[in-house]
Amino acid sequence: MRSPYSLQRKHGVKRIRQTAQDREAKRQREQSRIKDYLALTNVILTGKKNKDWSEDAFNLTTRILQLNPEFYTAWNYRRNIFAWINFASSHQGILKILSEDLSMTMTALKAHPKVYWIWNHRRWCLENIPDLSESDPNDNTWKKEAWDRELFVVEKMLDSDPRNFHAWDYRRYILANMPIPRPPASELAYTSRKIESNFSNFSAWHQRSKVLSSLWESGDLDESKSKEKDRNIWCAEFELIRNAMYTDPNDQSVWMYHRWLVGSSKSCLLVIAHHLIASVRECHCCLSSNNFNVFNIGCMESIVCYKRMLIKDHATDVDLAMLTRECNGMLQQLQELDPLRRRRYEDLVGTLLK
Amino acid sequence: MCANPTQLLIPLHVSYIQKLGDSKDDLAYHLSAHLRLNAIYWGYTALAIMNHPDALDREQMIDFVMSCWDQEAGAFGAHPDHDAHLLSTLSAIQILTAQDAVDKVDVDCVVKFILSLHQPSGVFAGDQFGEIDTRFLYCAVSALSLLGRLHELDKDGKREKTVEYILRCRNYDGGFGSCVGAESHAAQVFVCVAALAILDRMDCVDVDTLAFWLCERQLPNGGLNGRPEKLEDVCYSFWVLSSLSILGKVHWIDVDKLVAFILSAQDTENGGIADRPGDMVDVFHTLFGVAGLSILGYPGLVDLDPIYCMPAKLIEAKGLRKSWEALPRREA
Repeated sequence: MRSPYSLQRKHGVKRIRQTAQDREAKRQREQSRIKDYLALTNVILTGKKNKDWSEDAFNLTTRILQLNPEFYTAWNYRRNIFAWINFASSHQGILKILSEDLSMTMTALKAHPKVYWIWNHRRWCLENIPDLSESDPNDNTWKKEAWDRELFVVEKMLDSDPRNFHAWDYRRYILANMPIPRPPASELAYTSRKIESNFSNFSAWHQRSKVLSSLWESGDLDESKSKEKDRNIWCAEFELIRNAMYTDPNDQSVWMYHRWLVGSSKSCLLVIAHHLIASVRECHCCLSSNNFNVFNIGCMESIVCYKRMLIKDHATDVDLAMLTRECNGMLQQLQELDPLRRRRYEDLVGTLLK
Repeated sequence: MCANPTQLLIPLHVSYIQKLGDSKDDLAYHLSAHLRLNAIYWGYTALAIMNHPDALDREQMIDFVMSCWDQEAGAFGAHPDHDAHLLSTLSAIQILTAQDAVDKVDVDCVVKFILSLHQPSGVFAGDQFGEIDTRFLYCAVSALSLLGRLHELDKDGKREKTVEYILRCRNYDGGFGSCVGAESHAAQVFVCVAALAILDRMDCVDVDTLAFWLCERQLPNGGLNGRPEKLEDVCYSFWVLSSLSILGKVHWIDVDKLVAFILSAQDTENGGIADRPGDMVDVFHTLFGVAGLSILGYPGLVDLDPIYCMPAKLIEAKGLRKSWEALPRREA
């Protein structure tokens, strides 16, 4: 977890040995910057205390936030000035300031893509775009465009770091709140693109599971059609995950998503289980035969998981003794193959024997 | 000094933490003023777990905490004249609780501040500007509990709403995210599971699925990551281990390898622990490295309560101990 501690927490910064001389040189270098920074901080906090809601005070917050985007009190002060100021009394004035803040935070995000306070301020900007529809419906174009632009911005952010959870959270927030919502199918297509460019992107698989769940839940079709549609989507998902399985079998994302898919079709687990286990086993055999001694832990873990589900949920319909024996055999092997989690496999053997 | 230490260098870490306040010639010190109160909590707790609870001056600590009081909001900011926030308010309450100095605070006022941030959905906002996150929910629940005022949530169904919100953040992998719809993340798992533990609702957790996800966080080098296919980081030693400990499954990971990984991230020259070997240290990773080692039964350390991330004895004395299991303390 990075922020809100990122400045204090030096993530990924290499340690360098400093001599007393290095330290003294650094002290000299930073001395005047510290003095300026503290003076600016002091002016701002004094202004805040004295309820100075002027444009000058507003501009000072811009300066300090460019130096330190984690100074949350300065963001708060800035928003309070915004609420009080006279220089933004017209709608045009408000739009101008908000659009300036959106560009300012964009620059800040490029340098600090994981600072909560910046993402947070962007949300505030969007939420404060005035609604002008009563006077002139065309005026709302700006609002609509601003929200649309956010999807573009967040896509850029996810292009540079496809796992940035701030960006994914923001994306979901935009999709849920934009004035004219986009159809869920277009978000499904977005996750396809992200997954196809990198099967390891678990964040994209996660988003896909959420989008599909909401598609399944929104029964806007009549039930029979909807069921058929569900089945088609469902088959397509298994095909997609099968490809990923073969491409990148050591990636946890694949097995996690496979498990979600199986879980979401739990009601028909008995019908599909054999097919499913067979397909995972086929993948496993294929991997093992390519490289004689390689056993894929993800494959084996999944087979055990589905067999345990059958034992637990369908005890009267399956050959319990055989499934238990098979699970035990695999769990013994897994203890050797995956020693980090040996004790877990031991515990699972114990629960099977009960 | 050896390059790859096999022991926790306690005296070095104690002096590293003691000297943190002397870094005023360092620009980074001033740029992190918005985390000062949190940093004092991290430093103090690390010292207490290393059995040096008196290494920082008690009066100075209490005076600093009280100087962060935000009279307008009725809670604590992270630094004098900074705005009140739940993140810094929890740190303040934790420090004052550990110093037995809660009587210095207008508790009614703090409780009012916390309750005012409860949202209709059940989550808490961090401050009056409305950012929501399960981290803030944990801060609120933990602080109310430490103040002996958790029952305040019973009014108007706030308690049920809070639990409902946590459960809406649960994903199919058994983990929890920062808000509804968000991806599972080990730190968010900690805040959600620990909040459920404080609220006596561990019956809602799917232990097998979640503990599987948590033990899958261990990588071949022994370190833990926070999400699938991400790099290891010492701070997950706490987020993952505390959750596993609440679930009674610490033994599901390879203990020796994780201990070795945490120890390898120490600065053997100036003290402190980094996110991973060879990186710059900071007080945040120093606490969470030491906290992880305590849960793993590392010799010579004091027991940590994984739910409140405070010394276990203190939490027990307040009658707040919930169910959790750390590994037995080993002999040196």
